Amino acid sequence: MRRVVVTGIGLVTALGANVKESWEAMLAGKDGISEITSFDTSRYKVHRACEVKKLNFNGHIITKKPFTVYDCLLASAREALEDSGLDGYEPLRRDRVGVSIGTLAGELSLFEQRLRNHHLNKADGFDIEVALSYPPMTLSTQLAEEFHMEGPNIILINACSSGNHAISWAFDAIREGKVDAMIVGGSDVVPQTEFTHFHNLKSLAPEKCQPFDKNRQGLVVGAGAGVLILESMELAHRRDAKIYAEVRGYGLSSDGYHMTAPHPSGEGPMRAMEVALASAGLSYKDIDYISAHGTGTPLNDKMETLALQTVFREMAQDIPCSSVKSMIGHTMGAASAIESIVCCMAIKEGAIPPTINYETEDPECNLNCVPNQARECKTNYALNNSFAFGGNNASVVFGRVHLPVERGSVI
Amino acid sequence: MTQPNGAGQADVRKRVAITGIGIVSPLGIGRQEFWTNLVEGRSGVAPIASIDVTSYPCKLAAEVKGFNPADYLGDKGLKYLTKGTKFLTSAIKMALEDARLNTNGHFPEHAGVIIGSALGNYSQTTDYTYNIFKLGPEKLLPMASFDVALNSSINFASVFFKLKGPSRTISSGFTSSMDAIGNAFNLIRSGRDNLLIAGGVEQLSLDSYLIFLLQGLLSGSNNSGPELSRPFGRHRNGFVLGEGGYVVILEELESARSRGVKIYGEVVGYGTTYIGSNRFSLEEKISRAQRVMELALEDGSLSGESLDLIYANGNSSNLLDMIEARAIKGLSGDSSKKALVTSVKPLAGECYGAAGALQVVSCVLAMENSLVPPIANLEDPDPECNLNLVTKKALQIDIRSAMVNSLDPAGNGSCLVLKRNQQ
Repeated sequence: MRRVVVTGIGLVTALGANVKESWEAMLAGKDGISEITSFDTSRYKVHRACEVKKLNFNGHIITKKPFTVYDCLLASAREALEDSGLDGYEPLRRDRVGVSIGTLAGELSLFEQRLRNHHLNKADGFDIEVALSYPPMTLSTQLAEEFHMEGPNIILINACSSGNHAISWAFDAIREGKVDAMIVGGSDVVPQTEFTHFHNLKSLAPEKCQPFDKNRQGLVVGAGAGVLILESMELAHRRDAKIYAEVRGYGLSSDGYHMTAPHPSGEGPMRAMEVALASAGLSYKDIDYISAHGTGTPLNDKMETLALQTVFREMAQDIPCSSVKSMIGHTMGAASAIESIVCCMAIKEGAIPPTINYETEDPECNLNCVPNQARECKTNYALNNSFAFGGNNASVVFGRVHLPVERGSVI
Repeated sequence: MTQPNGAGQADVRKRVAITGIGIVSPLGIGRQEFWTNLVEGRSGVAPIASIDVTSYPCKLAAEVKGFNPADYLGDKGLKYLTKGTKFLTSAIKMALEDARLNTNGHFPEHAGVIIGSALGNYSQTTDYTYNIFKLGPEKLLPMASFDVALNSSINFASVFFKLKGPSRTISSGFTSSMDAIGNAFNLIRSGRDNLLIAGGVEQLSLDSYLIFLLQGLLSGSNNSGPELSRPFGRHRNGFVLGEGGYVVILEELESARSRGVKIYGEVVGYGTTYIGSNRFSLEEKISRAQRVMELALEDGSLSGESLDLIYANGNSSNLLDMIEARAIKGLSGDSSKKALVTSVKPLAGECYGAAGALQVVSCVLAMENSLVPPIANLEDPDPECNLNLVTKKALQIDIRSAMVNSLDPAGNGSCLVLKRNQQ
């Protein structure tokens, strides 16, 4: 089995148009929330979200909104590819580089835009442009076309754990030698449909996202994309690539319990984390940082705490465990891809972004959520949690690559 | 000893058995009805009944008829479920019972579900969108969004059967369910899982109809002549839409044997790669499609010569059928002369993301019955598709190994290789 490493990353969030801007803003504890501008919210009780404010279109910063899911995906994929240097590696076999992308809603907002202006009939929402962008698969094939990558193309539709599913699909394909590298990630914007869905389920916080706070009121939806370049360690070494981290393993599970509520015991997430640790060949004691699912809904954060307490036992209160959703919102299908990048940066930079808007301790969320202030922390191993609607759980473990010792022993 | 949902070990290579089949199809509900209609050539294609197509040119599709979901799911809460969710959950129920796995909430805890769907419940997502504009967001009750997410059919199935293993929705266009079955096969073979429900689901909707019509892919669109699916036919002009839920139970072979359950056959190889690039020339597309088949054969350590049957993608598309035929022709050895080639789509419709699973269940039943159903409607084969096509009547033949092809003209080619169970 080959080892799988991360050699490039790209980010688009409400806090910035690339990794550097987003990461620095996260470490500074900035809040990306603002009034929603992509649709009229006057008939809703909530008016705020973490929308993307600017994008880098091939070197040009564009602020004209709204951006599509593919716009965000393409910008972060381009950044990640350039960062990795993979594209410029001459002997690269392009038929052995694939694309796996997670999304919750695909280009639903294009259909909305069309229908918003003509809605006598539902059919008014369709034209050839909508028809061609409607199947989510087109996100991945467009990337393959843009970057001339000819390996397998996969879209994973797993709501808010889609990004981690996309990473684990790619991890298996590289590990088993089916491909050499994968462009992997997640992307979503804030379609009015999904906003309405969360709004009417009373899942949205009106003002701010406050994970693990006693007075947390819900999630804030966000837009964004995160893309990682995964490749075999062998290829990364051969082309002398910079390595952020190794993907050590993953765990998937289902609650098998409810369409929208998590199982209150946290038993499903607990199994996802335990399988992820076993798959990584690690003990809970090895983990230095947890990127929590931490949505800021009363149910999720309480349940996640219980699951963490079961898995991490005596260390549950101490391990830094933050949620960047407090700053960039819940970016749905992109969330776990973006948070995987946060884990890679924690490993590379030795810093951990905070959970902001944290005001009042909640005895039911007795964790070290890195309140309000980033901190330094040497991170060898990081765990990324994602627990989606439908009880669909996926956790991924990232680890530092100890180059001098392990180099040469892996091929 | 397999560690359920475990890490997967470096040297593990488990064998993967098929132990159950579930079908909700325009050709019938359940494997017996489906198979009888398939062999006897009774078509599921008829004038479209579930959506209003009076203002559009194409009038025919293969829709599921005579299906009562309450027979499988009970009466409770059915009104909140989409058509696709009912198809999928009922097909899973049938497959579990076929595999002699209890479905009354005492299901093996570690089982998971991996389903392919190109469009999922997207048509209900867009119904919800339409209602936001038509009725106003405040009029939409929380239950209105119960089952309207792209992947909510799979979530519902996982909740309904209390599954604790992975639940995953793969959406890779026309190859979605082939990629779902291939993924499930890989996860069991590597020792990570040992019992997975895999398959595909699609539902005919205004959305699916319009997106394929607008792209000119349907038979009879753009004044292209009569609406008729005739894969590899000289006058083929596009596909006729279908729908349905098709599911197999995949199980680690030793654990299936220890349960003493019937084993239909084994999945032995899977290959997938991108074939649909705009940059590829026709010759490149053909060689890529051939490469997919070779990848699956290599993965299963099978050479082309030993194939007895190829369940073709063959969906009556002008270009794609020719690409597939020439790719099969290019396989090494004499497999293209020897292997019989058939397609189920003239009768069951092109159900896009669920098509791979439709073909896999058809292929498993053909192996089981040593009988290859013919390609319906194929009167006049295209000389460019010069294959060992089964036409007119079913052929009795011993099928030891078979290949199932799934091709997306703008996406992946994916291919699965099956072997009959050796007693």
